[in-house]
Amino acid sequence: MTGYVLRRLWQSAVVLIGVSILVFAIMHLVPGDPVRQALGTRATEAAYQAMRERAGLDEPLLTQYLDWIGSAFTGDLGVSFRTGRPVMEMILERVPATVSLAAAAIVVALLIAIPLGTIAALKPRSPVDWFATASSQAGLSIPDFWMGIMLILLFAGTLGWFPSGGYVGLTSDPVGWAHHLVMPAVTAGVASGSILTRFVRSSVLEALGQDHVRTARAKGMRRRDVLGWHVLRNALIPLVTVGGVQLAYLLSGVVIVEIVFAWPGLGQMALQAVESRDYPLLQGSVLLFAVIFLLVNLLVDLLYARLDPRISYVGAAK
Amino acid sequence: MTRVMTVTPRNRRFPTILRFRAWRWGAAVLAASLALAACDTGEGVDVDGDEEGTAGDAPEGGTLIAAIGGEPDQFDPHVTTAHVSFQVLENVYDTLVAPDAEGEYQPSLARDWSTSDDELTWTFELRDDVTFHDGSDLTADDVVYSYNRIIEDELANAYKFSEVDDIEAVAEHTVEITLNQPTPALLDNLGSHKGLAIIPEGADEDLDLVTEAVGTGPFELGSPEASGVTITAYENHWNGSPTLDAVEFRYISEATTALTSLRAGDIHWTDNIAPQAVEDLQGDEEVELGMSPSVDYWYLALNQEREPWDEVEARQAIAYGIDREQIVEAAQFGAATINQTAIPEHNLWHHEYAPYEHNPDEAASLLESAGVDEGQQLDVMVVQETEGVQIAQALESQLADIGIEVTIEQEPESTWLDRQSEGDFDAFMWSWVGNLDPFGFYHAQHVCDGGLNFQGYCNPDVDELLNEAAGETDQDARKELYDQAAEMIVDDVSYLYLYNPDVVQAWVPGLDGYEVRPDRATEFENVTLPE
Repeated sequence: MTGYVLRRLWQSAVVLIGVSILVFAIMHLVPGDPVRQALGTRATEAAYQAMRERAGLDEPLLTQYLDWIGSAFTGDLGVSFRTGRPVMEMILERVPATVSLAAAAIVVALLIAIPLGTIAALKPRSPVDWFATASSQAGLSIPDFWMGIMLILLFAGTLGWFPSGGYVGLTSDPVGWAHHLVMPAVTAGVASGSILTRFVRSSVLEALGQDHVRTARAKGMRRRDVLGWHVLRNALIPLVTVGGVQLAYLLSGVVIVEIVFAWPGLGQMALQAVESRDYPLLQGSVLLFAVIFLLVNLLVDLLYARLDPRISYVGAAK
Repeated sequence: MTRVMTVTPRNRRFPTILRFRAWRWGAAVLAASLALAACDTGEGVDVDGDEEGTAGDAPEGGTLIAAIGGEPDQFDPHVTTAHVSFQVLENVYDTLVAPDAEGEYQPSLARDWSTSDDELTWTFELRDDVTFHDGSDLTADDVVYSYNRIIEDELANAYKFSEVDDIEAVAEHTVEITLNQPTPALLDNLGSHKGLAIIPEGADEDLDLVTEAVGTGPFELGSPEASGVTITAYENHWNGSPTLDAVEFRYISEATTALTSLRAGDIHWTDNIAPQAVEDLQGDEEVELGMSPSVDYWYLALNQEREPWDEVEARQAIAYGIDREQIVEAAQFGAATINQTAIPEHNLWHHEYAPYEHNPDEAASLLESAGVDEGQQLDVMVVQETEGVQIAQALESQLADIGIEVTIEQEPESTWLDRQSEGDFDAFMWSWVGNLDPFGFYHAQHVCDGGLNFQGYCNPDVDELLNEAAGETDQDARKELYDQAAEMIVDDVSYLYLYNPDVVQAWVPGLDGYEVRPDRATEFENVTLPE
């Protein structure tokens, strides 16, 4: 098991280096000069050159890359062009808000997907199934900016139940934190929940058709026990896979939801970095997103073994 | 996990493994979020409704909550060029002089100034009662340090000092500035905005100016966070302590969210108003709307180094071919003031001159005399997600009527800027913001070798007028020169000026002491919250 984990971590490191080269190359291939953008049109040529030099942009690309990746290994992701602050500090500052939103959104998604998908699978082609499928289609089709704005207009504007936007730190005010979290989490969670509903439905349906389920029923096991013991547990594996991807996606920032709810997450910051061609900040953010995806995937694979005793990674370590 | 709770909440025979797993799933998610949220470094934004600053119930003093359209890039006044940064810094720093609402320069940190007979030496007398937020006194050395920092480090506003030879502290509160040529626009160069702020000597070494500030302004900068920043009253401000206890700036980039927050009483003030919302807000009792034509302007520039736009008739044809009212309606929903020159009315440098009206026939005959064929292509380069896109769309249909085929090229700002500086365009649409002195409005954009003359305009008569005006110290004579130059620039269509967008801001009814300014400066010094 430990061997397996180590091997996966090693593979992840290789992937990360690949990602870092790709990100670096793409950023520098995209037209647009970050220095001109940061200084505006009025800056003198000398000011322009001075900033290019400060930012190390006058060095050859390979030197720039090696400098960056070398420091990245020591946890130093460089300094943002636009803000002049360390990239690591800027990312860490936004981690709490991002994790809060991602965790709450995935909870919302599961709260929607598991009941809805299971009920739909238990009564396939019934009105319940039709309703579940239709509402998951609707949940996927509704643009999140529209849904967010509608929630704001209704629950913040008309009813005044929730604040219209903003973020409050959990440690400074837990109630305010939860209060501010509800609407963004629902907005982000509905789309993920809709995707997950379909997977729950199909995997529960598949599990229901398996021989051991028929056997369990035949031997007179109670319906709900069959569902709990034999169906849901088997159905969980695909759910964990897709849920993991959704969680990673949420963790790397839900840009639209963050903008609508003035949520200081990583997505907004990365978008801003793209717009201003803030190479260090964007490279750092994308590297972080890659780490998130790799780690979540690793955790998902490890969870398989926990969920399904037939899966074992012991052999793989040899 | 939901399944467990909703379907069989009391079923003791429910498989324990699944139940345990489900519980652990939830616990893991919760624990992770708690653990990570616990390393939260900041206090975040105040809870709406729980704070003293909430709209509606604030007594004297109190905290004003202002929503601005984005996160400031940084708080170093000499480095940043972002409007949102200056919205905060406006209240934290001071300059030697500062413009009033008409664009005329008034004393600020300098109580008086004089010019030598040859116009090459300016002497500024500083107030002697000014202290920085750290308690130290303002002296001439601080002024010298601040300006030299901008010049020597080649910071964003270094270009404003191109006529400055030397800055010297000649007495504790006296600064002497020596110029290489008479510069009537010097006050504008030293005071147009807080990018020319005075910081204490050595501040660059002693402080991290990106996130910290020691200014002389009415408010002190608190520690910035990802969602907002709070500034608190500086009791010893030279112009008296501000009426408010504090101003909390929140970064809300979505205009609908900002407006709903204002209506719900979560915030007191915002300038993040979508133009299309203005008409509805005008009759709205829940919101007070403040509007004024800004000093910003939108214009179209035709590349005069490309055929057929090197012909003045061809450019004038475009000027007659456009319908400004329709453009203002399309791009700003009417929240703008049409202007055929750059400087808006209410500004002391404004000059009324409007030779063009929408006249497709005139346009067609001008095109004919310029030898432009029907179906002439015109690629208009705009920055994506700006009003420029809507202007270009209106332009596309209007110019189709006179036989010009417009193609709109939307580019990200950084690419747009590259292409502009390389001259790689037929025409571009852009705006200038924040100019106050006519030198800033006209000079570098229209003199033959001007640094901002990307359109390739060159008229020796205009050069002569602009160069003379740049050194003319008599205000009336100077205005006369700029008026003449402006007329020629308009006649030659160096820029095709379109309109001055309105500054649109909104606040809760009952908020007092706030003035909407044409230069968009947001001063909260004298504001009182509603009872």
